[in-house]
Amino acid sequence: MKTIAPGRVPKTTTNTSSRVLNFRASWLLHLFLLAYALVTLYPLLWLFISSFKSNQEFFGSPFALPSVWQFENYTRAWEIGGIGKAFLNSVIVSVLSLVLTLFLGTLTAFIVSRLNFRFKGFIMMLFVLGMLIPIHSTLVPLFILMKSLGILDTYASLILPYTAFELPIAVFVIAAYLTSVPKELEEAAMIDGNGYWGIFYRIIVPLAVPAMATVSILGFLRFWNDFAFALVFINKQALKTLPLSLSMFSDGYGTDYSLTMAAMSIAVIPTIIIYLLFQNQIMKGMVAGAVKG
Amino acid sequence: MAFTNRLRSFIIIGLLPALTIYLLFVIVPILWSAYYGFFDWKGIGAARFIGLDNYAEALKDPIFWRALKNNLIIVAASILGQLPIALLLSLILRKSTLFHRFVRSAVFMPMVVSSIVIGLIWGYIYHPQIGILNVLLEQIGLSSWIRDWLGDPSINMYSVSAPVIWANIGPYLIIFLSAIQNISSDVEEAAKIDGAIKGKWLYLIVIPMIWDTIKVAIVLCISGSLKAFDLIFVMTGGGPAQSTELLATYMYNNTFEIYRYGYGSAVSTLIIIISMILVLGSQVLMRKRGME
Repeated sequence: MKTIAPGRVPKTTTNTSSRVLNFRASWLLHLFLLAYALVTLYPLLWLFISSFKSNQEFFGSPFALPSVWQFENYTRAWEIGGIGKAFLNSVIVSVLSLVLTLFLGTLTAFIVSRLNFRFKGFIMMLFVLGMLIPIHSTLVPLFILMKSLGILDTYASLILPYTAFELPIAVFVIAAYLTSVPKELEEAAMIDGNGYWGIFYRIIVPLAVPAMATVSILGFLRFWNDFAFALVFINKQALKTLPLSLSMFSDGYGTDYSLTMAAMSIAVIPTIIIYLLFQNQIMKGMVAGAVKG
Repeated sequence: MAFTNRLRSFIIIGLLPALTIYLLFVIVPILWSAYYGFFDWKGIGAARFIGLDNYAEALKDPIFWRALKNNLIIVAASILGQLPIALLLSLILRKSTLFHRFVRSAVFMPMVVSSIVIGLIWGYIYHPQIGILNVLLEQIGLSSWIRDWLGDPSINMYSVSAPVIWANIGPYLIIFLSAIQNISSDVEEAAKIDGAIKGKWLYLIVIPMIWDTIKVAIVLCISGSLKAFDLIFVMTGGGPAQSTELLATYMYNNTFEIYRYGYGSAVSTLIIIISMILVLGSQVLMRKRGME
C-alpha cells in the first residue's frame, strides 16, 4: 500500500506522450472523453431534467427538455410529499452527528497523537478493527441493542451509530495532521498555566481546523446519504431521513413520477453543491479513507 | 507527581466518551451477533439455545449460497469493469487542463450521490414499460434487445452490476492517476526512445510499475462490493424469487421481514467471517503473485 502517496490528487505533469500524438488523434481522444463524461453524467442530468417535467412529458418524451419548466414539482414534493420534513430530519441528524464526531474525534486524536500512555497501541488497533467491519453485519445486533436501550425510533438511534462508525476515520485524519505540528506550542501553553483542557480548547482545536474540515465534509456526505441504519432503526414517519423517505416514495406516489423526480433532486442537490465546492478534499479524503479501511 | 495524576485523569476522562460510544456501537454488536446466532429467537419472548443449528441451516440453504454467488458476481463485475475503465481513463486524463479536470470530476461525481437515488434512477432506466433503456433501444431500431432488465433472472445480476460499476470508478481513477504520476518521466522518455508503441508501453512498463497499486485496488473492489446493499435493496429488494439476493439482503429479509433474529444474527456473523476471508485471502494471494 505504500505505493500510493496518501491522498495526493493528481497534479499536472508535463505530458510528453501527447506531443507524439498528432492533432487529429488528440481530437478523437477529446471527443471520446467528452462522450464518456456525458454518458457518466447522463443519469443525473436526466434526473434533474425530468424533475421539471409534467407526468405526460415524463412518459411521452423521456429524452426531451420540458416544454414548460414545472417548478411547482419541487414545492409539491416539499409540502405534499413530506420531503420538507425529511430534509429537516436529515439536517438535524447529520449536524448533530458531525458535532459529536468532531468533538470526540479531535479530543481522541489529541490524546493519542500528543500524549504518551500505556494502552495507546491497543486503542489504535481497536479503531483499525472498526474500519474493517462491514456495516451491514452490525444491523441485527444494533437493532437488538437499541431496542433494549429504548432508543429505537429516536434521533439518537442514528446519531450514536453514525458517530461511532465515523470515529476511526476522524481520529486517523486529525491525529495524522496533529503529529505534523511541533510540540513546543503546548509546552509554552503549559508554562503559561493552562491545564490539558485549556491546551485542547485554546491550542489544539484551532490548530486542527483544516483536518476537522475534511472530516466534516466526508462525514456529512456519509450521514446525509446513509440508508441502512435509517431503514432498520427508524419507523416513525415524522423521523424519516431523506434516503428512507425516498425509498418509500415509489410506493406512495408510484405513478406521480414528476413528484418523485423532484424529491430525489432535493436530496441530491446539497451533496452536489458540496462536491462542486470541495472536490479536491472529497477526492483525497475518500481515496485515503478507502485505502486505509 | 501532581503533574502525572492530572495527565492520567485527563487521558481517562478524555478517552472515556469516545471509547464508550465506539465499543458499544461497533465492537460489542459483533460479539452479540455471534452470541445470538446460537439462539432461536423471534425478537419477543424467550430465546431458546439451539447451538450451531442456525449456522448449519444457513450453510444448507441454497438461497444463502446463491446470495454468496451474487456477491461474488458483484466482486467480479467491480474488478473486470471498474479497474480497466479506471486504468484506461487514468492513462489519458493526466493533464491538469480544465477539460481533463472536468472529465475527472464527472467520473467521480456519482460517489457523492445517495445510493438510494442511484438505485431509483437506474430502476427507472431499466423499467420494463417506461424505462428509458428500452425506449432508447426501440428508437434506434434494436427492439429485439428489449428485456425486463431487472425481472429476468438470467440477466438481472448483470443489470444491477452496471450501476455499481458506474458509481464507483472515480476513486480507482484517482488511485491509478497518482500511481502513474509516480512513474518518472525519465522511464517514459526512455521507453519512447526505445520505440515502445503505446500498447506495449502499457503492458511492459505501466502495469508492472503500478502492480502494487492494482493489488490494492482489487482488495478495495472486494471490500467495496459488500456495500452494494442499498442499491440492490431499492432496485429489486433481492427478488424476483430471490434471484438478486445478496448476503446482506438475505440477512435483512430473514431478520426484519420474518422476524428470525437468531438466524439473522448467525448470518451477520457469517458475513463478517466471509468478508474477512475474502479480504485477507486476496491479500495473501496477491502477495504471492507479487513475489514471483
